[in-house]
Amino acid sequence: MYILQALDIHKKFDSLKVLKGVSLQVEKGQVIAIIGPSGSGKSTFLRCLNHLETIDQGEIAIEGEFMARNGPDGFAIYSPEKEIDQIRRKMGMVFQNFNLFPHKSVLENLMLAPMLVKQADKAAAEDKARQLLEKVGLSPKANNYPFELSGGQQQRVAIARALAMEPDIMCFDEPTSALDPELTGEVLQVMKDLASEHMTMIVVTHEIGFAREVADRVIFMDEGLIVEEGTAEDVIVNPYHERTRAFLSKVLMAR
Amino acid sequence: MDYILMLLPSMLKGLTVTLKLFFLTLMLALPLGILMGMARISNFKPLKWFMEFYVWLFRGTPLLLQLLFMYFGLMTLGILLEREVAAYLAFVLNYSAYLAEIFRAGIQSIDRGQYEAADVLGLNRFQTMKNIVMPQVFKRVLPPIGNEVINLVKDTALIYVLAISELSRVARTHVMRDDTFVPFIIAAIFYLIMTGTVQQFFKWLESRFDYYR
Repeated sequence: MYILQALDIHKKFDSLKVLKGVSLQVEKGQVIAIIGPSGSGKSTFLRCLNHLETIDQGEIAIEGEFMARNGPDGFAIYSPEKEIDQIRRKMGMVFQNFNLFPHKSVLENLMLAPMLVKQADKAAAEDKARQLLEKVGLSPKANNYPFELSGGQQQRVAIARALAMEPDIMCFDEPTSALDPELTGEVLQVMKDLASEHMTMIVVTHEIGFAREVADRVIFMDEGLIVEEGTAEDVIVNPYHERTRAFLSKVLMAR
Repeated sequence: MDYILMLLPSMLKGLTVTLKLFFLTLMLALPLGILMGMARISNFKPLKWFMEFYVWLFRGTPLLLQLLFMYFGLMTLGILLEREVAAYLAFVLNYSAYLAEIFRAGIQSIDRGQYEAADVLGLNRFQTMKNIVMPQVFKRVLPPIGNEVINLVKDTALIYVLAISELSRVARTHVMRDDTFVPFIIAAIFYLIMTGTVQQFFKWLESRFDYYR
């Protein structure tokens, strides 16, 4: 059984077709990197998996449970909200702009959701939060506020915050794109550590090096479709498709 | 000096009338303003339209007219309110409209990413508003709310049109009777003490929220 299955996803914003039939199957423990030019629909696709956007057509199932599936008229019908809430809890999300809660300390950022959503008691939530901060190397910052942290540190807190809900799948939406170049390394390192612990990860990224090194499978998207997918070796080192080659040469040239 | 001491009892009585209107309006208009501010951006269109109309009506006409309407206007419709009640009603409805606009703008100024982060962590809408959005809104709306509260101190003087003896009306009565300007100066000092207190209070409140940016 796939841990995540998305089938023939279509999505449009008004009349603009952003996704034109994207499918993805992820096995437990896999790391998937989705690359592609901006406007290719890769972020939208990730956000659809997480129910931050709703799809027009297609099917999404997490651990065998349907979040949405096509109805008789060919348009997607979503499961009842309560079921969706349960299904979504299996996924954590890390945003490009971190989206930490600025009025909460680092520790409170990590404790908030477990206490409110999982009714964890305070001591347990704090224990867990401190463990996770240690894991992302930010124990000394527990009582600081997000504005006192660098971008890289904020993103590491955001990763820890998502992990605090003990998700089975972690989604990353361009996690290093808002960072100064010298700060991307620390975030990528945390993600590599996660991958080595066999966390299932779906990463939308411009970090070709990271994709090559960590991803089990690389997906190249353009204009709302998957153009090419395969191992990092296939897609990044020996791309078959002309568009993939053009994109990669542009991205790698910029380095 | 003796004259001032003689004035004080009646002026303090006027002051209590003013303060009562001030605190009652605040206590009712603040929670109402928060609710109306949320209703103003509700997904439920009729509610949204009604709030838009409400704000237009109460922000778009003079408070003085609203006071007259609540007493004399309703009277001609056969509803006779006590003058104080008519005054409270006009003030609460008027100030709710202004505060609703401030809260609406405050809520809308919160980044969409905050909602999304709360959403993916599994918080429901109520938890998101209570724990994530509103605490940040309060920090942002403090300066404009401080403005409104200071306006409120001064606007209380308007209820003289309903012949209610608040601070400024008491002062005016003395001025006309005793042919001296002194009661006005005393009233001005009272107002300055009240607005000064409000100003200091809000300065303190804002500093309490300084711990984050």
